[in-house]
Amino acid sequence: MLGLDTHVQAPARLALMTMLTAVSEAEFATLRDRLDVSDSVLSKHVSALASAGYVHSRKGVHHGRRTTWISLTGDGRAALSAHVAALRALIAGVE
Amino acid sequence: MENMSPEEASATLLAADQARTTMAQGLVLPSFLFASLGAAVALQLATTTLELVHDSVAGRWSLAAGVVAYLAVAATQLVRFRRLNGVWVGGLASRIVGGTAPAAMAAYVVAFVLAAWAADQKAWWLVVLGAVAGGAAYAWSGRRWWQNYLGAPAAHARAESAALLATIVVVALGGLFVLAAGS
Repeated sequence: MLGLDTHVQAPARLALMTMLTAVSEAEFATLRDRLDVSDSVLSKHVSALASAGYVHSRKGVHHGRRTTWISLTGDGRAALSAHVAALRALIAGVE
Repeated sequence: MENMSPEEASATLLAADQARTTMAQGLVLPSFLFASLGAAVALQLATTTLELVHDSVAGRWSLAAGVVAYLAVAATQLVRFRRLNGVWVGGLASRIVGGTAPAAMAAYVVAFVLAAWAADQKAWWLVVLGAVAGGAAYAWSGRRWWQNYLGAPAAHARAESAALLATIVVVALGGLFVLAAGS
């Protein structure tokens, strides 16, 4: 499994990071609804990815209430590319 | 996960790709986005042209009004997009609203030169035609960028680098200064 990133291996984390490539920044509730997960599950994934330096979160406002905005970092983008390449290699049967 | 099979890898990757596609295709554009931007750019083109050809206090006010109108429309539509979707797309802000897509920049320059020449010749109908055509092309360029974005969101989501945006602004202001000095 050379190249698979343990921080990104959980399907929900891979989906979260892949979704973030479609935008510059997304609000917490938007990601939660699109991923169809609970607040606590998303919060846990975001914290883990933020600790790895793969996402950046900041406090902001949306519809007049305080919320968290999340974006992919440069390191996160690179890690995602490497992980996807490793998955493609696995699919192609190349070690 | 240590022993992920190719089938599992394929399913995981497919689900992630679908999540991205769903994210992008679920985005809603604010109403009248392209029409309002096209109209604002047409107004800005016309007022700037008039000021360059007939430098006066009234001309300067009209130039300022055109710029303020464009900035008001741009800011309003960006805020509406962010409120509607709960996301920010840098590529949309710079290429659709800011007009940094090559087609939008080319259309703007051609329309501006045409309108400035027409104003110098006192062919006012051609000034209006050039400004309207410039605004329409700007809006069309934005619509085209949006279709490209929906087809490949990851490739189009990000805005240009700050250095490139700064270069575009400097070149635009420089061109405006040269035209103003020569008029």
